[in-house]
Amino acid sequence: MTRALVAIQGVSQHFGVDGASVPALEDIDLEVPDGQFVSVVGPSGCGKSTLLSLVAGLRLPSRGAVRCDGELITAPMPRKVGMIFQEANLLPWLSAVDNVAFPLKLRRVPKRERLEAAARMLELTGLAGFEDRLPHQLSGGMKQRVAIARGLVQNPAVLLMDEPFASLDEQTRMVLGDELLRIWSETRKTVLFVTHSLHEAVYLADRVVVLSARPGRVVDDVLVDLPRPRSFAMTTGERFGVLKDRIWQHIKHAERR
Amino acid sequence: MTWPERHLRLSQAALYLAILAAWELLPRGGVIPRLFVPPLSEALGTLVADRREYLGSLPTTFGEILVSYVLVCGGGIAMGQLIGSSLTARRMLLPVLRSAYAVPLVVLYPVMMVWFGLGSESKIAFASIYAFIPTMLTAVAGVAALSPALGETARAFGATRAQQILYVSLPASLPSIVAALRLGGALVIVGVIVAQMLGAADGLGYLITRHRTLLNSPGVYAGIVLVLGITGMHEILLRRLERKVAAYRQS
Repeated sequence: MTRALVAIQGVSQHFGVDGASVPALEDIDLEVPDGQFVSVVGPSGCGKSTLLSLVAGLRLPSRGAVRCDGELITAPMPRKVGMIFQEANLLPWLSAVDNVAFPLKLRRVPKRERLEAAARMLELTGLAGFEDRLPHQLSGGMKQRVAIARGLVQNPAVLLMDEPFASLDEQTRMVLGDELLRIWSETRKTVLFVTHSLHEAVYLADRVVVLSARPGRVVDDVLVDLPRPRSFAMTTGERFGVLKDRIWQHIKHAERR
Repeated sequence: MTWPERHLRLSQAALYLAILAAWELLPRGGVIPRLFVPPLSEALGTLVADRREYLGSLPTTFGEILVSYVLVCGGGIAMGQLIGSSLTARRMLLPVLRSAYAVPLVVLYPVMMVWFGLGSESKIAFASIYAFIPTMLTAVAGVAALSPALGETARAFGATRAQQILYVSLPASLPSIVAALRLGGALVIVGVIVAQMLGAADGLGYLITRHRTLLNSPGVYAGIVLVLGITGMHEILLRRLERKVAAYRQS
């Protein structure tokens, strides 16, 4: 297993809007040990997604540093960090297997090799037999499975997930959540998972980081001491409720302001 | 209520047949004077009888259409891609291009004859200018409508700028490129024929005008049938192409 650790050190992010500088994130410090599943929650517009795009190397922080495995992130590092977006964002003219193989194609991995790797990932995400389907022939949940397979195909140490289940219906969301936990337990990636759903945040993660309203600051860092594997029964237990309530108190205050 | 595909096809065929039958029967029955519209069979008869003359006008016509087509679609689509992919260029140039589009360019044709003479050059110049802006605007609209999410995703997976264009923007804009080809081609055909009608020494449009001045209606309509054939062929080809690139459309 690759040794990886995401370190976000004193990061602030400002956006220029109509000549004014609008702070999105303020002084974020966050260390994620190898193999940990971390959920990031916070009120709408708190900069959760911005935080992920910094780790993805899609933009540079205004201040501070983001490191992966000790290396400063200044550009996307697709071999270390895989990204999964809210929408599956599949290329509509490519089959499922070609979509999954796409990151490898960008790196000019030989065709046979990349198709084999992609087929393995589709099997891991439960899509064996759907290799040749085009995106429009797949359901929303299946598309997101393809996106997860694509995020995993380069075997990155870190998986960034930006509200990946937000546009799915609740049942699909619950099934995919369990699927994600199974995949995670098989691959032991370090996961940064942004979500609006407190339920999802607690259910999936080892740890929930709570951000404040804009500009986002870390207001709480909650260890989820529920045993694994997680089960639906736990979600009605007392401990689950206590954890969820503690997070909700932060969000509630922020959303009221 | 939706009709099954087969019924739609059948009624479309019936509609075409009805139009052709009306073209044949209304002049024959004296409802429309034959000088205005001769029966279809007479136009076709003239086309067959004078086939030498009509076929002889095609090389010039096709040549002019082809050169204009390449100029319009090559240049228009390339410039459309460039302008469409830059927000600043779009905001600066689109209003100008739209107002230029509103100018009836036919008024320029006499000037072009002065510049380029009576030969093919003036037809190509006119048809190209006539079709260029709408073709380019179609290409611009297609590129501008591309979702930035796919490009961003490719970037997150390490795509270089060149790879983003080659693997994402270009294939994603194929449907709009075909739409631009379809529009550009149709306008180029119109442009060339109109220019030939307004002043030329050869070509299908010239033949139509010559027969008109001689009040030879079947001759005029024989030419019109050929023009219809050319535009119809173009339409069928482009529709096929459109179906082929349908998979590239963003859902």
